[in-house]
Amino acid sequence: MTDANPPSRTGTDRLGVSTVADLCAELEANVAEVIVGHEDVVEHVVTAMLGRGHVLLDDVPGVGKTMLARSIATSIDCEFRRIQFTPDLLPTDVTGVNVFNQQSREFEFQPGPVFGNVVLGDEINRAPPKTQSALLEAMEEEQVTVDGDTRELPDPFTVIATQNAIEPNRTYDLPFAELDRFMKKLHLGYPDPDEEAELLGRTVGHHPIESLEPVTDRATIVAARETVAETRVERPVREYATRLAGYTREHARVGVSPRGTIALLRAAQARAVTDGRDYVIPDDVQTEASVVLPHRIKAGDRERDGATVVENALERVSVE
Amino acid sequence: MSTKSDSQTSDRTIEIATDGSVGPGTFRLLACCCVLVLTASYVSVLRDVTRVVGGTETLLTLVGAMLVAATVLAWAIRPRTATVAAVVAGALGFAYYLEYTGLGVEVLLSAGDVLLSDAAALATGLPLLRMVEAGVWTLAFVPAPVFLSWYLAVRGRYALGVVPGGIALLFLVLTGDAGTIPTLVGTLAGIGAVGCGELERRGGSVAQADLLAALFALIVVLSLTVTVIPGGSGTPGHFAGTEAGTLEGTIDHASDRSRIGGSVDLSPEVRFTVEADQASYWRTGVYDRFAGDEWVRTGDRSDYSGPIGGPPGETERVRQLVTAETTLGVMPAAPQPVSVDGEFTQHTRVSSHGQIHPNNPLVEGDTYAVESAVIDPGAAALQGAGTDYPDPIAERYLQTPEDTSNEFEARTAEITADADTPYEKAVAIEDYLRSTKGYSLEVDRPTGNVAEAFLLEMDEGYCVYFATTMAQMLRAEDVPTRYVTGYTSGQQVDDDEYVVRGTDAHAWVEVYFPGHGWVAFEPTPSGPRDSAHNEQVERAREDGAEDVDTDSSEDVPLSEEEPEDEPSETPSEIVGNNESEDWNDSDPDTGYGPDNETDGNDSSPEPEPVEPAANDSSVTDEEDDDGWLAALVERLSISREAATVALVALTGLVASVHRTGAVGRLRRTVGLYWQRRSDDPDRDAERAYRRLERLLAVSHRPRERSESARGYLEALAEESDEGVDPRAETVLERYERAVYGGGVDREGADESMAIVDELARERLPGRGQRGN
Repeated sequence: MTDANPPSRTGTDRLGVSTVADLCAELEANVAEVIVGHEDVVEHVVTAMLGRGHVLLDDVPGVGKTMLARSIATSIDCEFRRIQFTPDLLPTDVTGVNVFNQQSREFEFQPGPVFGNVVLGDEINRAPPKTQSALLEAMEEEQVTVDGDTRELPDPFTVIATQNAIEPNRTYDLPFAELDRFMKKLHLGYPDPDEEAELLGRTVGHHPIESLEPVTDRATIVAARETVAETRVERPVREYATRLAGYTREHARVGVSPRGTIALLRAAQARAVTDGRDYVIPDDVQTEASVVLPHRIKAGDRERDGATVVENALERVSVE
Repeated sequence: MSTKSDSQTSDRTIEIATDGSVGPGTFRLLACCCVLVLTASYVSVLRDVTRVVGGTETLLTLVGAMLVAATVLAWAIRPRTATVAAVVAGALGFAYYLEYTGLGVEVLLSAGDVLLSDAAALATGLPLLRMVEAGVWTLAFVPAPVFLSWYLAVRGRYALGVVPGGIALLFLVLTGDAGTIPTLVGTLAGIGAVGCGELERRGGSVAQADLLAALFALIVVLSLTVTVIPGGSGTPGHFAGTEAGTLEGTIDHASDRSRIGGSVDLSPEVRFTVEADQASYWRTGVYDRFAGDEWVRTGDRSDYSGPIGGPPGETERVRQLVTAETTLGVMPAAPQPVSVDGEFTQHTRVSSHGQIHPNNPLVEGDTYAVESAVIDPGAAALQGAGTDYPDPIAERYLQTPEDTSNEFEARTAEITADADTPYEKAVAIEDYLRSTKGYSLEVDRPTGNVAEAFLLEMDEGYCVYFATTMAQMLRAEDVPTRYVTGYTSGQQVDDDEYVVRGTDAHAWVEVYFPGHGWVAFEPTPSGPRDSAHNEQVERAREDGAEDVDTDSSEDVPLSEEEPEDEPSETPSEIVGNNESEDWNDSDPDTGYGPDNETDGNDSSPEPEPVEPAANDSSVTDEEDDDGWLAALVERLSISREAATVALVALTGLVASVHRTGAVGRLRRTVGLYWQRRSDDPDRDAERAYRRLERLLAVSHRPRERSESARGYLEALAEESDEGVDPRAETVLERYERAVYGGGVDREGADESMAIVDELARERLPGRGQRGN
């Protein structure tokens, strides 16, 4: 685990905790103009973005996954890219390709759709593993290598991938090891009847996404991510996270990896900041654990799935 | 069986290998020590026996050998084999005992019921010392329990190992040989062994031994206080022991053991009257075994059935008619009683020494006739009696305690240096004691061997001391002697009538002369004794005590002999008292008379107020005068025993307090209402929250381990109707900042503490319930 309390970098672009908290509230309110309900999911996506994480939305089609990604991208005034994964999609279709320019007689790099601030990888499980891994490598390293040349991805870089839960025989399930690279796996689910009625009312005419205005800019988000990264995580909290991970390792076939623990604490940091605190409390960890940990766990025979294991862990692991 | 034992073996080996760790190793050691202590407790009781009758060395060697054997064989043989071996060893021991006593092993077949009844007699309170062959019995008894208990202890079967030791100790308790302390120590050791064994087996920690400590303390305090309570069967003599405080009590209650006490008083009451042709010492008890501080009568009594065998030599028959004037537990008779007449015959029992004893105490007015064969050999005859003692006599009447010092023997040899025959030796010792030791009833009982102390250190004593010392000295010179108790002839009121009072209680010595039998010797200087005793009677008469005289005894002088040349402490007193006798007879009702009458010549001031005398007019004058101060000091100063008991009780209290966790609870309760401010605001803020949590635990529910502080408060707010005090939020926030954040400042911490103080006080009775 890296030092959870890095030395404070003095920079003009650093924002106060309360500023970031306000910003998040504003952001979420803005997104709520498009996305009806699902406040918790929106909040999770925002905190994942601030915690330098990527999100996997696991859902049936048509519940607003794309709309969520788009509205966030619009709200922060960042470049939104979308990759529709299909069985014939090639890795270079994701990363980009060197093209021979007849005029300059040189190869020129044509950046792929991955070069965006908010990248929506739609139905990622429909593409073959090779193509999937192109995106996943980009997520992990925040850079892309094409024909030996390494190119940095823009900052911020957040992937919101969606996974189609139906049609299982025509999909390539994400390998367990690569699932680990998503900070959170979320479910949108169907809206409540009330919410759906509201949604219909809003979208029946002009779609609100068209008129959505940004509430902040790219630089502010970068600064906010800095603030989150500096949020204090004291030893008792770190130990608590370790105990939770330890519990999953003891009670499942495959437990949470150290990468998972790091992700958990990063998410908790973002959560603490959105609550206006510059320190993480166990509650932050608890809130994030239910979305950060389950997809990293391969449940044993006794537990139904990873979520059950995490539930048990939260119920049994001592906080202090 | 074999596989089971094998697996146990391997278990045990593993445990030994892990002995380096503190816990089980320590308990193992403790448990083994406890078993050893238990063993020591009953061996010490047996050693007390062998110290008297001899064989201590053999006993200890035997115990040592058994311990070594058990250690060596612990892993070589199986428990069943060991048990069988122990039983066989025990059986062989008893066979040896039977052979030794001349009964032969075949008696097992012919008289098994007799043996059984013997065992029953022992188990129902026959002390070991009263057995004729106590030493052999002891040696036969000891190996089996020692071996078996140590064998089991070495094997780690502590609880089982306590059983044989416990049975041995229990048996000795039943025989009455094991005193309070060995019993207590043995019991505690047994419990300790079981407890430590359990703690070892279950991997307990030292902190868990507190229950054991509390239990120990409880047992010690209970058992010791039970015996300290007056009226309990405690150590007589400490607490108004009316029996042991009188010479009679010491000398004779027809008991089988005669303890030698300290200062004694004499009751002037008339005990019995004798009608006999000639005066004699009236013997009531015979003792043969000396244990250093007591005389023990070995052997059993049998019912009187026909004439008792008399002395071998020439005897004169003396017929006596004895009438009890009070309740009498003895049957006084001139030695050697041979036949008893009258209706009391059926209640008469005969000791192995030929002394008669009543089965039930005689009551006032009971009468019996007894015929004695009195021997009166001349000095010349005794001179020529020789030393050809029969074996039974030599075996039984030459016993001295094992620890008798060489000095005692050397001094005896010195005193009897010129004496050639046993008779001369006896006379020399008699003369020596009479001439060098003073007579006094005020004696501090020496510790250890009384005979030795009296010969070598003490200057004065009373008949018990004289007789004991003489008997032991002669035994040291290989002359068979025995210690006898009884009464002197008493006040002769008629030609053939003697009135015997409590003051006449006496002890003297009988020496065995082949061809003649037992001959009485009197080592006590008679003059000082008589005067001291008569004085008691006179004083009692003055005080108007009842039962001092019979109808016929009042007018007759107590004794023909006048005080001789004794170094008696208050000769003038005796003179005065004697003079007052006439007056006393004329007006027995007035207690103040003597002062008027004897003003002139009674040099002793004697300011003692004449109180309505207690029955037992044995108030010690010295104590009455200035004794109250000493008594007070004595009462205030705490004896060592009491201090020990208090200490043990305290330890037990501490242990039980520790056990119940009362200290922690008290501290927590106090801590709920009051928090000390520390230098560290973070710590204060954290502790303030902890207090809040405990308050909430009482008013709502405790926090679960998996609940975070915030989650707990939120859950409480949701669960309960009245919710949680909003100020709790502040405390929580400060706590989080202190523990997880950058810390809190002093004011923040103080505010937290103040809030919790307030919340706690609101809970106090009288301040009203918060929220209601």
